[in-house]
Amino acid sequence: MDKLANRLREDADKIEVSVSEELDHRIAASLQGITPEAAAGKPRERARPLGFWWASSLTGIAAAIAVIVIINRQQVEEPPVAVPANIVAAVPVFDLKAESAALTGPLQQELENLQADIRKAEKKVKEDIGL
Amino acid sequence: MKAAQAGSVDAFADLVRSYRERLLRFLLTRCASYADAEDALQDTLINAYRYIQSYDARWRFSTWLYRIAINNAAKIRSPDVVELGELRDEESDPLLQCINDSDTENLWLSARRILNDDVFAAMWLRYAEDMSVNDISRALDRSASWTKVNLLRGRRALDAGMNGGRNESEAYG
Repeated sequence: MDKLANRLREDADKIEVSVSEELDHRIAASLQGITPEAAAGKPRERARPLGFWWASSLTGIAAAIAVIVIINRQQVEEPPVAVPANIVAAVPVFDLKAESAALTGPLQQELENLQADIRKAEKKVKEDIGL
Repeated sequence: MKAAQAGSVDAFADLVRSYRERLLRFLLTRCASYADAEDALQDTLINAYRYIQSYDARWRFSTWLYRIAINNAAKIRSPDVVELGELRDEESDPLLQCINDSDTENLWLSARRILNDDVFAAMWLRYAEDMSVNDISRALDRSASWTKVNLLRGRRALDAGMNGGRNESEAYG
C-alpha cells in the first residue's frame, strides 16, 4: 500500500469513538418497537382465493342482466303529459286544409288529364278494330 | 442474517455490533455534532432493521449500511450547511475532539477542508473502510467511473496538501 493510503488508514484509526451505554440502550429500545417491513419485490399474499374473485364478478354480471330484463319487461307506456293551457294558446293555428289542397292540386289535375288520355286511347282502339 | 430477516432483534443486534463504531466514526465526519452523529447512527440501524428484508445479498452488508448511513447523515445535517468544510468552528468540531493528539494534522481534517462531500465519502470508504470501487459506487449511488475519477482527484488533492505544493483552497470533485 502506498504512503498516502497508509497515512489515511492510520489517521482514520486515530479518530476514537465508542458507542456509549446510553446510546446502546436507546438503539435497543428503538429496535424493539419495529417490525421489519416486507420486501417491496415480494408479491403480497392474496386475502381471498382467486375463485372468489371470479365468483363475485359473475354474480355481479348476472345481477346486472337480471335488472335490465326486469326493467324492460315492466316498462309501460307513459301517459301523455298534459300541455299547459298557456302553451296551447301560444301555438299558432295553421290552415291545414288549405295547405293540403295547395299541395295536392297539381297532382289531381295531372290525374284527370291522364284519365282523359286513357279514355281517348280506348275510343280510338275501339274504332280501329271496328267495335 | 436469516434470523434477523425473520424479525429477531437479537440476531440483528449481533449482526450490526461490529459495524457500530465504524459507522459512528464515519458519521462523525459528516455531522455537525457528536449528538447528531449518534442520532444518525440510531436512525441508520433502525432503518436497516426495518428494511432488512429488502437487503440484496449481492451487496456487502457494510456497503448497504453505509448507504443508509449517508442518507441519514444528509437528513440530520443542517439544511444551511452545504459542504463539509463549512461545517463548524474548531472548538465544537466533533471530529477534532475525537482525534488523538498528534504532531501532524490528521489527514482526514485536511481532506474535509479540501474535498467536497461525496469525494470525501469516497475517499473514506476506500482508505478507511477498504471498500472496492464497485462497493463505493453502490454506497454513494454513483457510477464506477465517477468513483475512480474522484478517488484519483481526491488523492492528488491530498498529496498536494501534504507536500504543500498546491493551493489547498483549490477544491476537487
